[in-house]
Amino acid sequence: MTNKIFMPGCSLPSYNPEAVSKTAAYLKSVYPDMGAVQKCCGKPTAAIGQTEKFKERFADLQKDFDKVEAEEVIVACQSCFGMITKNASGQKPVSLWALLPQIGLPPELVGKAKNSDVTFTIHDSCSTRFETELQEGIRWVLKELGYKVVEPKHTRENARCCGFGGMVVPANPDLADRVIKRRVEEFETDYVVVYCAACRASMMGIGTKSWHILDLLWGPVVMQGDEPPANVLASPVKSWMNRYRSKVGLNRCMAC
Amino acid sequence: MKHVNFSQPLYDTAQEIVDGCMGDAAPACQSACPMHTDVKQYVKLAAEGEYQQAVDVIRQKIFMPQVLGRICAHPCEAACRRNEEFSQPISVAAIKRFVAEKADKKENWNLAQAPATGKKVAVVGAGPAGAQAAVELRRQGHAVTIFEKLKVFGGMMRVGIPEYRLPRDVIDFEYGYLDMMGVEVKFGVEVGKDITFDELRSDHDAVILAHGAHVGSIIPIKGHEAEGVYSAVEYLKEISETRAFPRAGKRILVIGGGDVAMDCARSSWRIGADEVHQCSLEEMEALPASQVEIDEAMEERVAFNAGWGPKEILVEDGKVVGVVLQKVLSIFDGDGNFSPAYSDETREVAVDTVIFATGQVVADITDGALEQGRGGRYVVNKDTLATSLPDVFVAGDASGGAIVVEAMALGRKAALSIERLFTERALEADRNLEEEGAYKTRLDVPLPEGTVDTPRIHHNTRPAEERKRDFIQVDLGLTEEQVTSEGDRCLQCECKLCMNECVMMNDFGDCPKSLFSDFIEKKEMEPLLAYSCNACDQCTIVCPKDFPMKSIFMGARADFVKANNGHSPIPGHKAIEMHQKLGFSRIFTMAKKAVGR
Repeated sequence: MTNKIFMPGCSLPSYNPEAVSKTAAYLKSVYPDMGAVQKCCGKPTAAIGQTEKFKERFADLQKDFDKVEAEEVIVACQSCFGMITKNASGQKPVSLWALLPQIGLPPELVGKAKNSDVTFTIHDSCSTRFETELQEGIRWVLKELGYKVVEPKHTRENARCCGFGGMVVPANPDLADRVIKRRVEEFETDYVVVYCAACRASMMGIGTKSWHILDLLWGPVVMQGDEPPANVLASPVKSWMNRYRSKVGLNRCMAC
Repeated sequence: MKHVNFSQPLYDTAQEIVDGCMGDAAPACQSACPMHTDVKQYVKLAAEGEYQQAVDVIRQKIFMPQVLGRICAHPCEAACRRNEEFSQPISVAAIKRFVAEKADKKENWNLAQAPATGKKVAVVGAGPAGAQAAVELRRQGHAVTIFEKLKVFGGMMRVGIPEYRLPRDVIDFEYGYLDMMGVEVKFGVEVGKDITFDELRSDHDAVILAHGAHVGSIIPIKGHEAEGVYSAVEYLKEISETRAFPRAGKRILVIGGGDVAMDCARSSWRIGADEVHQCSLEEMEALPASQVEIDEAMEERVAFNAGWGPKEILVEDGKVVGVVLQKVLSIFDGDGNFSPAYSDETREVAVDTVIFATGQVVADITDGALEQGRGGRYVVNKDTLATSLPDVFVAGDASGGAIVVEAMALGRKAALSIERLFTERALEADRNLEEEGAYKTRLDVPLPEGTVDTPRIHHNTRPAEERKRDFIQVDLGLTEEQVTSEGDRCLQCECKLCMNECVMMNDFGDCPKSLFSDFIEKKEMEPLLAYSCNACDQCTIVCPKDFPMKSIFMGARADFVKANNGHSPIPGHKAIEMHQKLGFSRIFTMAKKAVGR
């Protein structure tokens, strides 16, 4: 059996620590020997061009991987997926979204949304535009839950960016705003499902109702008229508190 | 920030993009036009009802839009993507004619000229090549005199192309531009007779020979000397001038398969023939004539014998009584040389008149001073149209141009050479020779999404039985509604696929080529450009050449950081650094194996 760890990333723990804990607990029920790492993969550092600094930062993460003797890293963040693929020595990233169809959903959740009157538009992450297995997994989860979904014109490998990528928001916020506006323009429904918390923050920033897929998995069934969870990532203080809570949750989960 | 030294791989990738990006590549219609009229632009304007603007766009390149709108062989339409895909090209010529008829006004014609240079140029011939050369030379500030053998403007357009296709008042209206530009014209002056070539040279600083190919050729088959055999040149010229050809009988056979042959056949009806026949070596599908001419000739019931060559003209009492045709097996031999082969099958056509439309020859007006090649075409440098005499250039049919718009481009080319001669530069200096004529564009893009085949509307012709007995123009031109719907079919071919996807590149340039040539040239990049890329790769995905724009922006960021003491030059990125510090701090991180392991 390969040594697995769960790595929720940064934006997801900052957004929804409960979803992190519940996901970790469920994975642990399937893989009792699973460990966990909460740390950044260093993507933002690399993205702004700090090549040397990034090497340091990734080495820091690598040390954690080595310490916990990780072989497979179950990631919930598409940037982590890419950075580990490119930079890790000895670890293979496995996307949570590709893994779920293999291990199945908790049986009590299957079909929970079959009476929902909402049709979700799927927004794919552009950083994993060529990862078809991962994209299939998202569609599988939504189907298992019972949600109706629709694809936008630009989807999967042609997905348009949410405007957050490349650390553009701090550099050129007006541009990022135009990019996300153009992205949501082509959506045919008012309900959007994403699998990246940063994408969700971009959409919420311009008033597009969006849910992270883990909101749908662990949270209440969404019906027409329901409001999405608050845009927590817009508040740094709340985000860091959440990040801390997520860490505590993971520690607790790993301890039992 | 210190000076940024961008790394070489960045420049290499940028160069690759600059070399291959099709963002500025001309659409096929424009590159196929020897004069490079901005077809896409004026077709769009026409469809929008902006006729004046459309004419302005056309007039930037050509001074006779109504003429070309009627008789141009329109290589633009042959090259049109809708022709390639569906055989239904945009009716570019008809649209041009419409907007010019609607909105072209003399008071808007551009009369800009450089200050007078004191140089004098003689142009022989007032056909399209000579006229365009004269216009270009006047724009350069030189004095120009056209010597024209005929008493009218237009050259072969006037005495070759029949008036039912090109009304003469249209020619005169548009040639009015020459007068407004101060071109002096001496009508009825034949070089070699009224003035010698040497006199012409000594009186001028340079000479352009653009006197066309006005000598008819008759193939010396048996019976060719009989009464009733004429060349197309003689036939069409006389009909153009007099609307008659008294020496012709009532049953006419035209030999040839090109536009001139069609013009001869169709003109025959108009001077009162009872029967009009045609024969040509080429089969129907391979006729060199334009499809419109073939179609209209067939509507007028010209009897085609395509794929049948003339064997012999039958003669009685010195007069034509018929032609024996033989079935053609092949026109060229295995090496591609002209070498027709025939079967034994023959057929006889009883006619009293035979017209040879099998090519025209250029007369020598230089008294042997210049060498002539096949068909009398003067031997010239194809790039510059220079001859063995430093002050003499040749343009149009006389140098080998095949169609009107090509003749115009050659006239312009000769003028560009003269400009260099006068400024004592090499004739090839500072010019893009490829783009002085038709060329194949680099543009190669997928058909726009959702493109469907829609039929072309290209003319409104009068009924064949009515029109074939008069000289009034055959095609009445498109209506406003037709121009709109025809113009709307234009695919507006361009690449710019990445620009349709990427929001940010549009803030900094009009295509990767322009963005990165700027970068290579100045060895500088605006930090905000590099830091505005979302790194989403959408540009590369749609790029027909998969160019990696992102890698340049990301690579540039690394170089900016290097030049800025390890930090991004973007003030907002300080927050990212803090964010990253926390993301790696012990407070917010954990790493645990499972319990018991």
